[in-house]
Amino acid sequence: MSLYIFYISNFLLLLCLTASLIQFGKILNNKIFTRPGIIVLAYVQLISILLSFLILIYLFLISDFNFDLVYFNSHSEKPLIYKFSGVWGNHEGSMLLWILILVLFNFLFALSRRISERFKEITVAVQSIMIFGFVAFLVFLSNPFALNQNNFFDGIGLNPILQDPLLAIHPPVLYIGYVGFSLVFSLAIAGLITKEVDQQWASIVKPWVFSAWAFLTAGIALGSFWAYYELGWGGYWFWDPVENASLMPWIAATALIHCVLILQKRNVMQSWTIILAILTFSLSLVGTFLVRSGILNSVHTFASDPGRGLFILLFIFLILVFSFSLFAYNFEKINKTSSMGLISRGTGIQVNNWLLITILTIVFLGTMYPLATDLLLNKSLTVGPKYYSTTIAPIIILFLFFMFISPRLGWTDTKLYKIIIQMRYLIITSLTITLIISLYFELFNLTETLIIFFSLLLIISSMTASINFNKQNILVKTNLGQNLAHAGFGILMMAVVSNAVYSEERIYNAKVGDNLQLQKYIFSFDKIEQVEESNYNSLKAYFLMKKDGKLIDTFTPEIRFYSNPPTITSEASILHKFFSDIYLVMNVPQDQQSISVRMHIKPFMTILWLGTLMIIIGGIISASIRIGRLNEK
Amino acid sequence: MTSLVKSRLIKFFLSLIIVLIAVLIIIFNLRENIIYFYGPTELIKNSDKQGQIMRLGGLVSVDSFQNETDSIFYFSITDGENEIDVKYEGILPNLFAEDKGVVVEGVYMNDGRFIANKVLAKHDENYMPPEVIETLKKSGKWQGE
Repeated sequence: MSLYIFYISNFLLLLCLTASLIQFGKILNNKIFTRPGIIVLAYVQLISILLSFLILIYLFLISDFNFDLVYFNSHSEKPLIYKFSGVWGNHEGSMLLWILILVLFNFLFALSRRISERFKEITVAVQSIMIFGFVAFLVFLSNPFALNQNNFFDGIGLNPILQDPLLAIHPPVLYIGYVGFSLVFSLAIAGLITKEVDQQWASIVKPWVFSAWAFLTAGIALGSFWAYYELGWGGYWFWDPVENASLMPWIAATALIHCVLILQKRNVMQSWTIILAILTFSLSLVGTFLVRSGILNSVHTFASDPGRGLFILLFIFLILVFSFSLFAYNFEKINKTSSMGLISRGTGIQVNNWLLITILTIVFLGTMYPLATDLLLNKSLTVGPKYYSTTIAPIIILFLFFMFISPRLGWTDTKLYKIIIQMRYLIITSLTITLIISLYFELFNLTETLIIFFSLLLIISSMTASINFNKQNILVKTNLGQNLAHAGFGILMMAVVSNAVYSEERIYNAKVGDNLQLQKYIFSFDKIEQVEESNYNSLKAYFLMKKDGKLIDTFTPEIRFYSNPPTITSEASILHKFFSDIYLVMNVPQDQQSISVRMHIKPFMTILWLGTLMIIIGGIISASIRIGRLNEK
Repeated sequence: MTSLVKSRLIKFFLSLIIVLIAVLIIIFNLRENIIYFYGPTELIKNSDKQGQIMRLGGLVSVDSFQNETDSIFYFSITDGENEIDVKYEGILPNLFAEDKGVVVEGVYMNDGRFIANKVLAKHDENYMPPEVIETLKKSGKWQGE
């Protein structure tokens, strides 16, 4: 039975390989390749990969340990949902998921209408050659359907900290983001080949680039949320190389979506947009594969051999060489000179583009420096998180300022003082609120105060701009997506700064019956019990939280002991309130009688997630508004 | 000069200045925030490293663990050749145990002791930090594959 499945699934993969090759052949304009239509081939590509993915899911669900992948990554006693998510909790399975999304984007694009046939052909061809490369890599270097000769009775299991419902959806969402940029890349290459990078091109690209960006944002947020409650360190962002690897394409993509907008409205910055499209996709590849390759050490790393890492590096290298040669050859033909006023919306967006690239450089240097010293000098070192916060914070101030001012400027030269006079009430309001906040909380740090001030300006101005009445008092159509995302970013920045300043932490060693204090709350250690679950045993502590003698809530931090594979995890117990989170974790060190409890007050966490959610929704709205108004003025 | 050339020149010089300042700040900050990793033998050889913040890794020596109170601990870190005594105040991770790999962050004092302010937590009990493996390999005490 297993042998049949092995043959069928490999046949499906080879079928996709063939279809992708024919799809690519269309670029040659040769008669042999024109026969099967783009859409027919796209169907073949999609269905073959979808079927093999379903087969893999089936193998995990029935726990067929004749397959290496299932044996190494699953266990018969695992709950059903983790058997399911275990499919992409490993290198081969996640590669197949990656390819599935790649094929899906190709298919959706092939179906889209109102695009010239030649342009569509080239885009699909570029996409298909990538599908070809990755499927070949899958079949020959990391086949998910590899069989073993032994009759294993049970599997090894999935790393317990990955056994979490959020982590079941985090990789697919992140991947949709990463892979979405592959289509943007293909569109950029097609634009370079046809030499038509213009307003028309921007309108085609816009929905794809915005939806990929929204998914990437959501993927990063999910990962961050997971780290917050699962890792038990009380933080949501650690500037860990793996997190940085997902942040870098996000920064590049944020610059890219704004350039696509300028291109659509004003037909300028063609080359820069193309460079950003190539950069974003390359960083997405780095993001997925550097993380998986084992160079960076973390939970994200799946065991793998150097051959795989080499393939991916080679692939990234080829993409860069090919696309930049094409760019160097054609860039003069896609550029059209047209002027923009010096003090205009376009300049503002350009300045913020530079600032984003600066932040990208900071993150890149901080992430790569330890790798470089390790490889070249055999010296291991870490870059402290302070490097990122102190370097990026001043840039964020400038960034927020231009985010606030640019949408108020026109596309042509605008008088700055007129804008400032127009916004005087807004500025006074923000200034007053900032003053009250800093006096009330005794916050006199210049950087932090400035970030709060400009965030407030941005939030208020974005929110008022989204509600706009014309002279007849009728609500006029406004740029809702943009304003929502911008306000969300302001809220996020305010929450990040306030959270960093007002977080409080207490550590206690506690025995049953102790009363522990955190600010105005008393925590009574009520009892500790052992709980047996299907796939782990746990030690659960009960703390009653009281304020002024009244019971408010019960906290149950846990330690879980997994046996397949043997691992211990701490589960935090969190009370989410609107203005702050209360967060309890416990530890039981060996050789000790009492338990250690770490209690955090984390202000503005709910607001922080809310800001992130607004950014994501803003992105989705912008993606779904199909054709923007060309040439506003 | 036409206004187009003028605006381009202004943009060019503005960007040049911004790039220069940015690069200077980045490099300065990066050098400020680097934390080096050492094994016990390496650290004893380089006594000039005293007073700096760094990471130290190896195995927790057998029979070295003591606690003064519920939250002040003493133990030694070894690579099989040399040992360094560590004092740590705080919370120990679940998987902290003698003869297991550990990485601590703190200051190497003049008297040769290490005052740690962080014990880096890991989740898997068989997990060995790669730096510790490297350290054990250097001293020839590594027994894994």
